[in-house]
Amino acid sequence: MADLSDIVARVKDALGSSARGDLAEIDANGAPLHALSANDRAELATQFGHELKSVAGDYLGICRADEAAARIAALAAETGVRTAAIGEGVAIDTGAIATALETEGISVLRTAPGVDADNRTQTLRRVADADMGIAEADCAIASTGTLAVVSTVSRPSSLTLLPPSSVILVNVDRLVRDIAAAVATLGANEIANHRVTLITGPSRTADIEKRIVLGVHGPKSLHVLIVWPRDE
Amino acid sequence: MAVSPKATDFFAASEAGAADHELQRKLESASARHLEHFAEVRDEFTPYENERATARAIKENALGRLDELIVELTEKLTDHDCKVFFAASADEAREYIVKLATQCGARHVVKGKSMTTEEIALNPALERAGIEVLETDLGEYIVQLRGEPPSHIITPAIHLSKEDIGELFHEKFRVSYTPEPEKLTAEARTRLRESFLRADFGITGVNFAIAETGTLVVVENEGNGRMSSTIPEVFVALMGIEKVIPKLSDLPHFLEILARTATGQKLTTYTNFLRGPRADGDLDGPREMHVVIIDNGRSAMLSDPVLRESLMCIRCGACLNVCPVYRHIGGHAYRSPYPGPIGSIVSPSLIGSSTAYLPFASTLCGACKDVCPVHIDIPRILLHLRWKETSSPAPPPWPHDAHRARAGARMFARLARYPRIIRFLGHIAAVLVKPFAENGWIGSMPPPFANWTKVRDFPAPRPGHPRPANSAGKSIRNGRS
Repeated sequence: MADLSDIVARVKDALGSSARGDLAEIDANGAPLHALSANDRAELATQFGHELKSVAGDYLGICRADEAAARIAALAAETGVRTAAIGEGVAIDTGAIATALETEGISVLRTAPGVDADNRTQTLRRVADADMGIAEADCAIASTGTLAVVSTVSRPSSLTLLPPSSVILVNVDRLVRDIAAAVATLGANEIANHRVTLITGPSRTADIEKRIVLGVHGPKSLHVLIVWPRDE
Repeated sequence: MAVSPKATDFFAASEAGAADHELQRKLESASARHLEHFAEVRDEFTPYENERATARAIKENALGRLDELIVELTEKLTDHDCKVFFAASADEAREYIVKLATQCGARHVVKGKSMTTEEIALNPALERAGIEVLETDLGEYIVQLRGEPPSHIITPAIHLSKEDIGELFHEKFRVSYTPEPEKLTAEARTRLRESFLRADFGITGVNFAIAETGTLVVVENEGNGRMSSTIPEVFVALMGIEKVIPKLSDLPHFLEILARTATGQKLTTYTNFLRGPRADGDLDGPREMHVVIIDNGRSAMLSDPVLRESLMCIRCGACLNVCPVYRHIGGHAYRSPYPGPIGSIVSPSLIGSSTAYLPFASTLCGACKDVCPVHIDIPRILLHLRWKETSSPAPPPWPHDAHRARAGARMFARLARYPRIIRFLGHIAAVLVKPFAENGWIGSMPPPFANWTKVRDFPAPRPGHPRPANSAGKSIRNGRS
């Protein structure tokens, strides 16, 4: 059986004495992150919405923080949701959303503050049985209509994977231009320490005659609401 | 592998593929749709050329100091509580995974799409150990139900029509026949969802491994990789040594090009960043995470200065879609999990001598090189491998008699200096072959020309046209008939 030193020896041997000093230094860092003005943000939100629609996502537009709970409760009621699973927010208070859902008569499964190992399988099943999963993204990418979700104890990423309908909120301050900016914003530390998923539209396949079908294993629909936290 | 295919099987398989016009229709329509989507997303993305060049430079750099990067990656993954295993060969990787699954008492294995697991022939080994293994990528699921290998690295069931799949589901699941992709997908979703929820062991491949952060990146559209790495208690990621990239900031350059060339998307639906087992209180992720890093011929490729470039491949599958040979004979004819142009250059190293003929199965048209997002010079590598094969002490059964072919070419080169003689010989040849012509084509000739006509047809000379109008092959005639 091979171990690290065997493999490294093989590779070293294969590389021979080729001079490593000659290897070009790659300047792979993206453009520096600039602070964005309110105008820039509105523009990014428009682009994000356009790209999200092009990957069959449902763009719910921008709303004020105090309107978010009512918007989501209305969406859940309209689409016949009976149970919804929800985690903690990143910058948004999801407690208000849970309350609004309950007011509509929807039963709510809260994943915070975490699960016991013994209850894990059961909890996964309960999340999978929910009609709607609600989560807040850590970051959103305008150029591709993508949401970046960091998985933690109180906001597991299965909320955006298992229920057939996925609702993701994102704070307008967390919109970035492109993939490079998103990776830089999340940072090496966060990525080294958490499971992270970039989500671009509902789950899809083109495996049957290259025809696009939504909702293979993950959500069949994805609804995104951008939240504007201030009065501007 | 239970049956080891022989090099000469390629002839039978490629002839069968070339004669299957229905297969060509499916491949042509799927390829056309792919190329259309690709052209759209490429044209509107102005930095595409820059991103290609940068991605290539990153890979070049990474391969040049791969030993250091493997050490760094291993340290980081170990810090994240991953168990890292190194496999020198396919056998070692397979044995490790089967043993691990047996020790964990695994009963239901779910797999995300992974070509490397095909390379090591993992499924039959798990099944022999009495463990149920389920492919969960829709295309892989379909070909597994048919008991077939995948025929394309991105679209495994590209050789099947929706009617074929409708009949398959009808037969296997006793559901009423439907050719509608939406309904077929819904049926698969219901069945696979239950399998995911009860699975105790998950396996996926890896697209990129970031040394700096100890992160494995798995790119996909359906959620099969995400499910396989989220739900089961034990999770194994299998990766070739060449998947390592140095820094997190390198990754976006690959993400910007991979989905565009692979499927004509800007970014795949899911880009999963995996780092290790779950923490206390976490709902998502395995209790135990193993990373199997496999060599299996890759370090030998690294040591060959021409072949090394083929390790830059990011497995987008675009070269298959543009290849006239692939589009004509289909993926199964290659008898390798890696078909098409890229398969022809990596299979002899990763799969073995049964695929040594693949570098010869190319017209060297160069379409693969043009489309390759990281500019791999596939035609050059094909020629290099042909040269290596024919100059090795035990050349493969084909091509026969390279020295005779060379002598013939030398004689032609000498004669070609005298156009009048060539024209005169051409007239004589036209008269001589006339009796063998049928419907404008010469399909079989007596020895010593029989070897030529066995695999190729020649257009019959027409009066006043001493040169053939084109030099098309056997299958083109078939295509017209």
